[in-house]
Amino acid sequence: MTTAAKTILVVDDAALVRVYYRSILEEAGFRVEEALNGLEALETLLGETVDLLVVDINMPQMDGLTFLRTLRQREGPLASIPALVASTESAEEDFAAARAAGANYYLVKPIEREQLVEFARMLCGVAA
Amino acid sequence: MAELPAPTEDEFRKLCEYLYRRTGMSFTEEKRYYVERRVWERMAATGSQSFASYFALLRTDTQDEIQQFVNAFTINETYFYREDYQLKCLTNDLLRERLSKKRAGDTIRIWSAACSSGEEPYSIAIWLLENWPGVDAYAVEIVGSDIDTRVLELAGSATFGKRALMRLSPELIGRYFDALPAEQWQIISQLRDSVSFTVVNLVEPQQTRAHGRFDVIFCRNVLIYFDDASRRIAAENLYENLLPGGFICLGHTESMSRISPLFEVRRFADAIVYQRPEITRP
Repeated sequence: MTTAAKTILVVDDAALVRVYYRSILEEAGFRVEEALNGLEALETLLGETVDLLVVDINMPQMDGLTFLRTLRQREGPLASIPALVASTESAEEDFAAARAAGANYYLVKPIEREQLVEFARMLCGVAA
Repeated sequence: MAELPAPTEDEFRKLCEYLYRRTGMSFTEEKRYYVERRVWERMAATGSQSFASYFALLRTDTQDEIQQFVNAFTINETYFYREDYQLKCLTNDLLRERLSKKRAGDTIRIWSAACSSGEEPYSIAIWLLENWPGVDAYAVEIVGSDIDTRVLELAGSATFGKRALMRLSPELIGRYFDALPAEQWQIISQLRDSVSFTVVNLVEPQQTRAHGRFDVIFCRNVLIYFDDASRRIAAENLYENLLPGGFICLGHTESMSRISPLFEVRRFADAIVYQRPEITRP
């Protein structure tokens, strides 16, 4: 299976982080869309078919956990898009809060290139 | 631009004094040709018939001529990844040391002082993306400043020719630039968003202090254009703009020790840099 059709939406307010994840994921063969916060991500999802969300927690306007909670309450396929939370927060309660909000996996920043690609492939169901 | 009258010795001296007061840049008789060429440029642009009439126009600041004049004098030729050994030093040593006092998620502030058309601050951003594994774990803030508003407009447009990109591999160009017609390349929009630009005159403390304190300042090949007095003022301003323990990188031919005693010299594997001491001496 190829990654050609797989699209990942990176939701992070830091432009430099979005460039960083985009370059890693594009090099691994994914298509990448970007959103600056949860609200923008919800809007993007109305018009784009997305296979995986990579979501920061602390963002203005709508943070990552509120975004995931909102998304998981939706009807239809949008509600079940896999989500990888990427955050600098590393306490147990942060992991638990993310899981409760609907995150499938949680990675603590800084995230290594290989790690991001490995998780993206796994969550998109793509072989290396 | 032939046939424009050369300024007299007295006029030349007055002009240099004026330039010095406005910018801190000091030009002597041996730089006369360099100064004259730029004055002619501005005389032609403003339709001034004599040096005296141009100087009057300048002093009354008609049509923002002071800024235009300053713009004509700043030196702007540079390229991406220039003096990259300092960028190596930034990721191998300087950031490592600064981060020992920070938590993930904290802000790292880097200032490219006198950034011209933006090659340096964008180079810093690209270098960090390529060589610093912490790039997603800290809130990185990169500020570029210059005294010249014209080059700052160029920096904002982030469009560069082949020469500026000569040190970058095709992979890097593909990753961080969009190709435009006529052999021009524009920095991708997210990368443009991660650098902010602002006008700063390094000898004006109100201007420098407005930007707060930084972890690392790049101020390369700038102070060489200043005379001793303004160089010292600029160095003191830059010191105030550093967090305690923050670093300043100068050009490879420059030495802060000759300018100001405020800084400590630090020798790292890739570069010599200057540090604001952690604890200020009485």
